[in-house]
Amino acid sequence: MPKLTIDGHEVEVAAGTNLIEAARAAGVAIPYFCYHPYLTVVGQCRICMVEIAGQPRLALGCATPAADGMVVKVESSERAREAREAVMEFLLANHPLDCPVCDQAGECLLQDHSMREQNSAFSTHMTETRRTFPGYERRLIGPHVVQNQNRCIHCSRCIRFTREISGTAALTYKSRGNSTFIDTFDGTAFDDPMSACAADVCPVGALTVREFRFRKRSWKLLSTPSVCPGCSIGCNIFIDHHERVVYRFTPRENPAINATWLCDHGRFLAESLNEQAYLEPQHRTGGQTVRVGWGEALAGIAAELRDAAALRVVASANLSNEELFLARELFGRHLKGEIAVPVAPGEPRKMRNGKGDWLQATDPHPNSAGARRLGINVVDGEGLSRFLYGGAGLTLILDPGAHPFLASPEALQLLRVGTTVVWARREHAAAHAATWLLPTPSLAGNEGTFTSSAGAVQRFVQAFTAPGTVHRTATGAMSPSCPTIASPWGPPGEARPLWLTLTALAHELGVPALDFASPADVFAVMARNDKAFAGLAWETLGGLQQHESFRERQHVG
Amino acid sequence: MEPVLLRARGVPDSRSIATYLAAGGYEGWKKALGMGPDAVTKEVLDSELRGRGGAGFPTGRKWSFVPKDHPGPRYLVCNADESEPGTFKDREIIEYDPHQVVEGVAIASFAIKANTAYIYIRGEFARWAKILEDAIAEARQRGFLGKNIMGSSFDLDIWVHRGAGAYICGEETALLESIEGKRGFPRLKPPFPAVVGVFGKPTVINNVETLACVPHIIVRGAAWFSSIGRPKNTGPKLFCVSGHVNRPGVFELPLGVTFREIIEEHAGGVRGGRKLKAFFPGGSSAPILTADEVDTGADFDACAAAGTMLGSGGVIVFDDTVDMVEVADNVAHFYAHESCGQCTPCREGSDWCMDILDRIVAGHGRPADPDTLLRICRFSSAGMTICPLGDAFALPISSIVNKYRSEFERRIAAATPLPQKKQPVLPWAGPRPGFGI
Repeated sequence: MPKLTIDGHEVEVAAGTNLIEAARAAGVAIPYFCYHPYLTVVGQCRICMVEIAGQPRLALGCATPAADGMVVKVESSERAREAREAVMEFLLANHPLDCPVCDQAGECLLQDHSMREQNSAFSTHMTETRRTFPGYERRLIGPHVVQNQNRCIHCSRCIRFTREISGTAALTYKSRGNSTFIDTFDGTAFDDPMSACAADVCPVGALTVREFRFRKRSWKLLSTPSVCPGCSIGCNIFIDHHERVVYRFTPRENPAINATWLCDHGRFLAESLNEQAYLEPQHRTGGQTVRVGWGEALAGIAAELRDAAALRVVASANLSNEELFLARELFGRHLKGEIAVPVAPGEPRKMRNGKGDWLQATDPHPNSAGARRLGINVVDGEGLSRFLYGGAGLTLILDPGAHPFLASPEALQLLRVGTTVVWARREHAAAHAATWLLPTPSLAGNEGTFTSSAGAVQRFVQAFTAPGTVHRTATGAMSPSCPTIASPWGPPGEARPLWLTLTALAHELGVPALDFASPADVFAVMARNDKAFAGLAWETLGGLQQHESFRERQHVG
Repeated sequence: MEPVLLRARGVPDSRSIATYLAAGGYEGWKKALGMGPDAVTKEVLDSELRGRGGAGFPTGRKWSFVPKDHPGPRYLVCNADESEPGTFKDREIIEYDPHQVVEGVAIASFAIKANTAYIYIRGEFARWAKILEDAIAEARQRGFLGKNIMGSSFDLDIWVHRGAGAYICGEETALLESIEGKRGFPRLKPPFPAVVGVFGKPTVINNVETLACVPHIIVRGAAWFSSIGRPKNTGPKLFCVSGHVNRPGVFELPLGVTFREIIEEHAGGVRGGRKLKAFFPGGSSAPILTADEVDTGADFDACAAAGTMLGSGGVIVFDDTVDMVEVADNVAHFYAHESCGQCTPCREGSDWCMDILDRIVAGHGRPADPDTLLRICRFSSAGMTICPLGDAFALPISSIVNKYRSEFERRIAAATPLPQKKQPVLPWAGPRPGFGI
């Protein structure tokens, strides 16, 4: 364990730690552009030059391992400061400086470093014509990535990402010297299952994500820690949102699962979170659909539940552990209904963790492991069909997206036979067959935990606070979360998370043991009573990073 | 001095193995196999042979850095990527005496216990690659290469690998990347090639001329070798004299002769009896020396003391007709073209220098330009870059600016402002199609 001094701060770090990470531990920021904690060290950008006492030349912060007794000067070294200033001048000499129209502004390492250190008295010596790459200023190099080569600082992070992480080696340098540019191999699109990560690791606006470009200034976004709903691997994400609109998912660091990566499939589910087809509870009687209040709806459903001769509940592997637990306790234990969790077959997904190992999944749901742990009957499509044919007076569908079979004409016919209660957010055929329809919000409006296929119980935090409250954005500006100026799909309206309606139903049905105030309380009971969750505490399940996280996120690009 | 490395120059049929054997060829190889690797390394160490590629690092010490207990394969690489402007000595050796190189490679491989050696030769040297391949085939046929060489149980294969035309591939780690089939990007050091080299294995990289010296050291002994030249700067050295001299060419002289002797006696003096103005002592990446410094000794330490370097021994001579601003511009063009583009100061700096010098040459210099050039050079050299290419353009350009600043200032004083290109004002024609992204 080498102990060293960085700018007067003593710090002890693990052997092999480089100076950038050691300085981070000491609370000193060594700037960098090409270094990335999960990629190989190349020492190309040269901005991380530091002075080490006793060494005649400046050393690279990224490539120098911390050694015992080392005395490192970063901010306090005039030589290192001059070198950093010179490197910035080199990098900016040919940089377009188009920050006002660059989509990376606000999360650009080059801009951040300029703001942080560049001396206001410093004026560049560059008077030549700037290097440009005609034809490469706005080029779609793959389905999701737009390239602007003029902004590139040649850090090679994107190239190393495709070589070392996604493994496609799709990007490369072409040409030489000052004409070097990033490109795909001849005639091929940048078609990589994790292509948008190349834009993530890009420290500047040379690679940007097509879907997010120009939709929102990054400093306006709030980042809420969450878990990707795309498959059972359970990659950690931030939901980046503003005024109740989700703009994007970005990876949140977790060395055990997704390091700092996210696959395109998961990432581009972000847009779907803005869909809200149903805004208030509906009741269908005699072919008429009427909008009703929550009080009326809950009382009506409670009455149906009390009177039901037999109860079938189609739960879902997309629900949180807390919701599944409440469903199991309320419908299974108290009301003696049958519960099944259908699991659909999915496309194979994979993710590289921090150790470089691939995690694989073919399960498209984020929480089937949680359903299994809770001992709920997990069924496939055929099992679901048998379950529905089983016949019952009352059928509850907690999430119509649980299985494609639920949208089939066969299933709809079965649902129309008895009374059906459906909780839904997106347009779905089953919702039209429902006697009672209750709107639920998206992942961004809910909170709870998912259990990943590897068994990690991970929290996702509610991104949208209750209407009327005020967000403090990352820059400190206040923004009202007023529903009337919200998404193009309209305000989330009266949608309530499933866990809340289940506790409300428990209240209506007189089951005070299940009348919880929050998912945290549900989890506390699960952790106490359920072997699968024993010993876990809500507070330690991740998702506790600061909400103003985009500064935090900078160190991973 | 009796020729050592160039003794075969002018001998008829000098390339054939028969001629080489008749002149005592491969005796060093036979002797080395009898001595054992450690004794060979010690002999080379005692001879104080220093690398002829440019850096002048003691060859024996380089060999001794290879980990003794490394279990897997190790490699020897002969650097024949002679690309430094003004340097053409390795080509001369290969042209007249390729077996000298093959024997040197064999002895060095034996010293570091490498069973595979590569000769990395620049792509333009197609003819000399063929010569080497023929020589290797001959040596193999005679049993000097291959399996169980001369009953010593030592195996050696030599492969000739042709480069693809990048100057940077003469830098040892870029050369290794190139052998591995990758883009010629210099590697970050440490680890040094002696520990992690080609294919991740310990590798020693020596210049053609360095290796050509080795058989002679083994045959005649370290004491003979170190009797040539000056202390710490021993042995014969090939000097390539080009530029404004009467007799350009390659001359084999002991280290430590003065540049005056090289230029005036051996190269026949400056052309047309003109005055010497300046010269590069060791290829265009060495800081330039003025006519007043012509008595500097042509060896590693004397050059270092004069603030320059012996480099590859490529002496480029300029007479008094030469405009030093244009020399700087020429140098800048070469290095801007050859910068690999990997690290910031060299990629941006070399091109920036070229732009400024082009502008001065075009008659549009500005008063701040010399200082800007010096600033760019200062922050492109002395450890600011991954490999020495940063120094290679920064040191000559800054030395030219420092030593011939008046020439820059004269041009700048007479300069006219850069004509502004008139941008045509086009009427707005609506959004361009195809850019809906």
